[in-house]
Amino acid sequence: MHLDWSTLALQTVNVLVLLWLLQRYLFRPVMAIIAARRQAAETLLTEAAQQRAAAQATAEDLARRAQGSAAEAEQLRAAAQTEAAAERARLLAEARAEIDKLRADAAAALRRDRAAQRHALESEARALAVTIAFRLLSRLPGPAATAAMLARLDADLAALPPEQLRALAGPLDVVSAAPLSAEEQAACAALLARRIDPSLSLQFSVDPALLAGIDLRAAHAVLRRSWQAELDRIGQDLTLEEADAGPVLA
Amino acid sequence: MIASPLAATTLFHLGPVAITVPVATTWGIMLGLAGGSRLLTRRLALHPSTRQAALELAVDAIATQIRETMRADPAPYLPLIGTLFLFILTANWSSLLPGIEPPTAHLETDAALALIVFCAIPWFGIRTRGLRGYLGTFAEPSLLMVPLNLVETLTRTFSLLVRLFGNVMSGVFVIGIVLSLVGLLVPVPLMALELLTGAVQAYIFAVLAMVFISAVTVPPRPPDKESKAWT
Repeated sequence: MHLDWSTLALQTVNVLVLLWLLQRYLFRPVMAIIAARRQAAETLLTEAAQQRAAAQATAEDLARRAQGSAAEAEQLRAAAQTEAAAERARLLAEARAEIDKLRADAAAALRRDRAAQRHALESEARALAVTIAFRLLSRLPGPAATAAMLARLDADLAALPPEQLRALAGPLDVVSAAPLSAEEQAACAALLARRIDPSLSLQFSVDPALLAGIDLRAAHAVLRRSWQAELDRIGQDLTLEEADAGPVLA
Repeated sequence: MIASPLAATTLFHLGPVAITVPVATTWGIMLGLAGGSRLLTRRLALHPSTRQAALELAVDAIATQIRETMRADPAPYLPLIGTLFLFILTANWSSLLPGIEPPTAHLETDAALALIVFCAIPWFGIRTRGLRGYLGTFAEPSLLMVPLNLVETLTRTFSLLVRLFGNVMSGVFVIGIVLSLVGLLVPVPLMALELLTGAVQAYIFAVLAMVFISAVTVPPRPPDKESKAWT
């Protein structure tokens, strides 16, 4: 078997050179680009994982913030509701107090108005009663009324204590609503002499405002037994009773 | 008259060195492979074109084959195995070109390839496991196997040489005989068969190279309990 050693050596060198050439121009660049692509893919995957983790963290953070905002909003709403309730209660209390004050003022004003009206009505009624009494008395027969008045004067003088009787001593003015007749003056003089002082000096005068009856007017004392005096006394008594009765309206 | 397949025609002399046809053909193949590689890998990008994707697919297929056969990272072995496979495949298929005789049909080319594998085995063995580890592979599985392993080292290299040379040379020889007897069209099926044979032989040569290298680079698996019990 023939073997060409130089060809063998050349072919060995040729294959080694080809090995170097392919290593340089084929395998190394291709493997490098494959490795670079794999590295880029891994980098991309790593970055994607990181970005996904970051996105998840951001989402969780946003969710936490949303929950915090919701809780804060709930707190603010609750605080606002509490404040509004307090403000409403305060306003209601103020309104109620204002209403109570207005009602009290109105009640007082109404009470005052009613009292004033009642007072005016009573004054008018009193005046009307006096007028009616005057008209009725003016229709009474004079001698009968005078006799009755003298009888009552006699009873009153009998009831007076002695010191008051002494105050009536001295010049005494006998005032009547209508002029007394001579008989009536004599009866009156006899009555007064018997009850006060026998030496009493009398003067008779007329005052139609007395309506009826007799007033005894001394220097330091007056004994009123006229109807005018009675009506005045009755009116004062009615006024006092009204004052004692208190307020009519609550 | 058909020339002897064992003799190579001398084209010219470079000083005392005779440049034969297989050498010149090999230069042409080298030029084609290196130039094609340079052109194909000139503009590689992360977003590959169709051509680049096909190129990456081919290289990645070789790397995957190395990984699956040798059970190791293919990076250190890819240049040698890839070059052997591509060169033998291209050389075998070069017979399709009119007037071109494949360099692998000559004994010197196959011997050169076998010699490179023969030298690569201790190179990778010492590089991976150290000199002591590499020498220790001759005593696997026992010390008695050292002579046989030494003989095997020579015989398996010789078998590489003879297998490739015999297959390619016989294919060329048969096609030459048929072509001289029948003429056109009849040798076409034989040429297609020769294409298949060329690809298979390139694959076999590369796989055997991987197996021989991995035999000295991968540490032997420790014997399991069952085998211990039997011994």
